[in-house]
Amino acid sequence: MPKRPSQILPWRRTALALALTSLSAMTAQADTLRVGMSGSYYPFTYVEQDKLKGFEVDLMNAIGEITGDDVEFVTASFSGLAGMLDSRRIDTIANQITITPERQEKYLFSEPYVYDGAQIVVRKGNDAIHGVEDLKGKTVAVNLGSNYEQLLNELPYADDITIKTYDSNIEQDVALGRADAFVMDRVSASQVIKDKPLPLQLAGQPFSKIENAYPFRDDEAGEALRNRINDALAQLRDSGKLSELSQKWFGNDITQP
Amino acid sequence: MHALDFDYMLGLVPILLGYLPLTLAMAAAGMACALVLACLLAIVRVTRIPGLNAVALLFISFFRGTPLLVQLFLFYYGLPQVLTFLVAINGITATILGLTLHFSAYMAESIRAAIVGIDRSQTEAALSIGMTRAQLMRRIVLPQATRVATPTLMNYFIDMIKSTSLAFTLGVTELMGATQKEAAGSFLYFEAFLVVAVIYWIVVEALSWVQKWLEQRLNRAYQR
Repeated sequence: MPKRPSQILPWRRTALALALTSLSAMTAQADTLRVGMSGSYYPFTYVEQDKLKGFEVDLMNAIGEITGDDVEFVTASFSGLAGMLDSRRIDTIANQITITPERQEKYLFSEPYVYDGAQIVVRKGNDAIHGVEDLKGKTVAVNLGSNYEQLLNELPYADDITIKTYDSNIEQDVALGRADAFVMDRVSASQVIKDKPLPLQLAGQPFSKIENAYPFRDDEAGEALRNRINDALAQLRDSGKLSELSQKWFGNDITQP
Repeated sequence: MHALDFDYMLGLVPILLGYLPLTLAMAAAGMACALVLACLLAIVRVTRIPGLNAVALLFISFFRGTPLLVQLFLFYYGLPQVLTFLVAINGITATILGLTLHFSAYMAESIRAAIVGIDRSQTEAALSIGMTRAQLMRRIVLPQATRVATPTLMNYFIDMIKSTSLAFTLGVTELMGATQKEAAGSFLYFEAFLVVAVIYWIVVEALSWVQKWLEQRLNRAYQR
């Protein structure tokens, strides 16, 4: 095992946690902003050589610099993130959370920082699917807990679509041909196709506009935090830093409506 | 299909091995706690202590009858909504707790079976020469029951090591969580999961050797 600090640190924390069991969790300081993410959503949040990277990581660090909060990233399976927010183990989620009416009933949202569309992706060479109408009779993969499942279910012909929900690896199952298509946001779908060795292609234009933002618990502390982060986001937008980060990761500006 | 990226796989090995201690520590802590709890449950079941026996039966029925993942979600995400102080339990503790409760239910039954399996005539013989119940347990029954139960208990330990891979759903980056995140960054799924499969396999294989040694030791009294 190479003795790099990044690896020793979590292990020490583990030893401490094992020794003190629950005590270590109670000592979380107030000025630490605990940000949940899946760590498995390229290029927003992913791991390379044991290092957490991505647009979400860069942006949240930039926000932390302005607000003065210590940003602590907590990675968990996507399906566990909402539970972590509800049970107060994290303060917000930086994982391209799309604003929906249902979620707005439960959470407070920051201003959107990514404007995107839902994109259908198919296996390379599959030219039978050009748009959302062609999904009739097909098997479509979506991530568990993502809003794309709902988006598909709201289609008038939803009953004709077989929706398969996955915890992760939907790209792989479409590449393997187990599902006919997957639905993901246009930005990361294009990125996946561009950068990764999977036989995939975009099918048609995005079919629904989506706005992504940070969710917060709907209480006083959550509202204060939301306002603080909105201020920082506005500053980053005005200074051009937000666009700059988008250019760095995507080659275009996905942060403008 | 693309050819295997061996350089990537080799580079991944030291990174993933960095998470192995956490995986093993959670399994070892879970096993230690589960053994204690399982022994208590087995004793309650064997001696049929009124009241407690019913509790033990209910406990075993629930924790054997529901998936480990459901139990983990229930404790980590569900219960804190009702009992807010439970938020203090972190992911690692919750995983160990889940493993303990889940596996002790199974282990209690195999320990009980091992105790019950000792021939009744030995009990009668021990009591007839004036041993107390406690002496009978300590000197006659438990040493033999340990030998009988060891292979099954090792099986549960192996299962427990692999079950720690559920901890990423609770935000604990252990061996499997680290692999998932690395695979998400590289999209080299086959390579990444192949590496992690081999790591689990080697660990379990090493444990089988320990098991063999342990069984030989416990068998010494029976060898001539």
